[in-house]
Amino acid sequence: MLNKKITVKLSSAILVIFLILLISTGCGGKRTDQAETSLLGKSFDEIVKMAEGTEVNFYMWGGDQRVNAWVDNFVAERVKKEYGIKLNRIPMNAEDFINKLLGEKQLNKKEGSIDLLWINGENFWTAKENGLLFGPFIDKIPNYTRYLDTASDDNLFDFGYPTEGFEAPYGRAQLVFIYDESKIPVPPKDLEKLKELVMKNPGKFTYPAPPDFTGSAFIRNVIYETAGGYKRFIDGDMNEDELKEAIKPAWDYLNEIKPYLWKEGKTYPAALAQQENMFADGEVWITMSYTPFKAAGEIKKGTFPETAKTFILEKGTIGNTHFLAIPFNARNKAGAMVVINFLQGFEAQASKFDPENWGDLPVFDYDKLSAEERQIVENTETGEATLSLEELLKHRVPEMPSKFVPIIEEEWMKNVVREGN
Amino acid sequence: MERVSAGFKPYIMLAPVMAVLLGLFVGGIVTCLLQSLGYFPVIGLREITFKYYREVLTNPEFLRSLSFSLYISMVSSVIAVVLGVFVAHRISRYLQGQTLVKLLYKLPIVVPHTVAALMIFMLFSRSGIISRAIYQLGLISYQEQFPEMVFDSKGIGIIIAYIWKEIPFVAIMVYTILRNINESFRDVAYNLGASEGQFFYYVLLPISMPAIISSFIIIFAFSFGAFEVPYLLGPTYPRTLPVMAYTYYISPDLTRRPYTMVIAVFLTIISIGLILVYSRILKIFQIYSR
Repeated sequence: MLNKKITVKLSSAILVIFLILLISTGCGGKRTDQAETSLLGKSFDEIVKMAEGTEVNFYMWGGDQRVNAWVDNFVAERVKKEYGIKLNRIPMNAEDFINKLLGEKQLNKKEGSIDLLWINGENFWTAKENGLLFGPFIDKIPNYTRYLDTASDDNLFDFGYPTEGFEAPYGRAQLVFIYDESKIPVPPKDLEKLKELVMKNPGKFTYPAPPDFTGSAFIRNVIYETAGGYKRFIDGDMNEDELKEAIKPAWDYLNEIKPYLWKEGKTYPAALAQQENMFADGEVWITMSYTPFKAAGEIKKGTFPETAKTFILEKGTIGNTHFLAIPFNARNKAGAMVVINFLQGFEAQASKFDPENWGDLPVFDYDKLSAEERQIVENTETGEATLSLEELLKHRVPEMPSKFVPIIEEEWMKNVVREGN
Repeated sequence: MERVSAGFKPYIMLAPVMAVLLGLFVGGIVTCLLQSLGYFPVIGLREITFKYYREVLTNPEFLRSLSFSLYISMVSSVIAVVLGVFVAHRISRYLQGQTLVKLLYKLPIVVPHTVAALMIFMLFSRSGIISRAIYQLGLISYQEQFPEMVFDSKGIGIIIAYIWKEIPFVAIMVYTILRNINESFRDVAYNLGASEGQFFYYVLLPISMPAIISSFIIIFAFSFGAFEVPYLLGPTYPRTLPVMAYTYYISPDLTRRPYTMVIAVFLTIISIGLILVYSRILKIFQIYSR
């Protein structure tokens, strides 16, 4: 009896010690990989040959059914046909795959399950700072130099943080507001007007709570406008206390409108999808989106009312670029690069721009397009419900430096949500 | 030699499974503990410190979340136990052997918590089924008159979801005891002039007490550490502890990771404490049932 007990205790103790050893040895240590340097030394044609008949696991945010459908149908079919690559889309939030990669790095796992990531902003900052990405690879991608402006800050910086060839531009986004014309005849053109509107119609406006990406962008937009513009922030050389001081006016504004929000501002939608549903049901009159042509697509689908229209704020709304990246331990880096090249090509970009498919802003440089290609872009029906590309670009302001984002989100929680709760 | 190896045999046979179970479990706890003490070498944190514990414990939001979590688990578990015992008693007294009833009351057990949360949302939100029905009946004239039951700071929706899930669990545990109670107890009690209520209170309740307490502890511990229902039905503030830990966990700023782990350590300690209480009660239970 006693024997058994001791045996059990002993064996579990040994196990624990073994595990601690496993964890601690799994940490640290840089990898220098022969295969990797040689991959970057190969020509793109050789990379295409290597990738033939392989599978690429594409981890991406899965919160938008139209985006998912576009990847599953258009992209997956085309790369299968042209390169013999089987593309598997795996829906996962960026913060979750960052954690997954971090765990794999801790255990020194050399062969991960992720080949390709859809990433930007603070998640890219985290991934690159912690050595979770493979690169620099961007010079290897033919379509990058063929179609993109390689000197543009939009491509060289991601939320003010240098991309350094570890990210391939994939699409552009800009924060827009979608409203119901039948309920709001004249959309507000700045935050003052928005405040009037919200106070006149209690319960009809809200925004998703961070860490939701879009809700977080709305808050940053309020910060810019209440702090007198974005210029103070984008150099990124404020310290934490200066930042907390500079963003205070935004909390005053958000607290002022709080009692007039949906559910008296006691709670916020946890995700953008929830707010979009509420907008479709008429429970709120305004929703927001990082996809400027979303309204057109949703009206076509029948989810948004025919009277849905888009507006932006005169002082500008936040625009950014979203990117593709390859993890440090991707099994199929060659396949990932081939898919990236396809996604940066004109055909994929034009298809993605069509609001019927997705409505995401393209990354190509207009000057680099042929006459035929320009014609295709101009003929893309963006619909009554949305603003023109020109209108958007005129009111586009850059993103906040990514290291500020988590601080802003916590301050919002402290100063707006907990206030009076 | 012979005897020793015979004693060893089951352990050797169990070793592969135990390695996985203990490996995942102990490995997780050890990592969690190290990171809560600020040891997270992958991002360059190498100093063991109690700083994070101090900060979390003095953070008003943490204390608010702790009390919110305790409140939700307490209220939902107490109500679920009371109703569960009532259901068990009714079934054992009047519906013995009716398979349909037994199937019905077990239904909530097989429904996942996520689905239960969605169901509660569809029923109890202001634009939900109940609200619409009452509106149609003319009892309320506009949606806002319907009380706030999901995403509210009282956690009503969360509590309803837990109660719905937990009643059958309690009922099953208690029913098993009640069903096996000797019928002659009832005859004796009635002979001595006890009423139905007295019999329940003085005889049935004490006998099923161990089952009641242990089922209470199990559902309390579960709801205290579970994430999905409060995440889906809870307000932006206050958040329950598991939701708060998750929010810290997904923060892109990895230096916040120790805060998550401090919260996780608290959840672990409280759960282990409850397991100890549970095993003590089981011991008492065994003494009773001899």
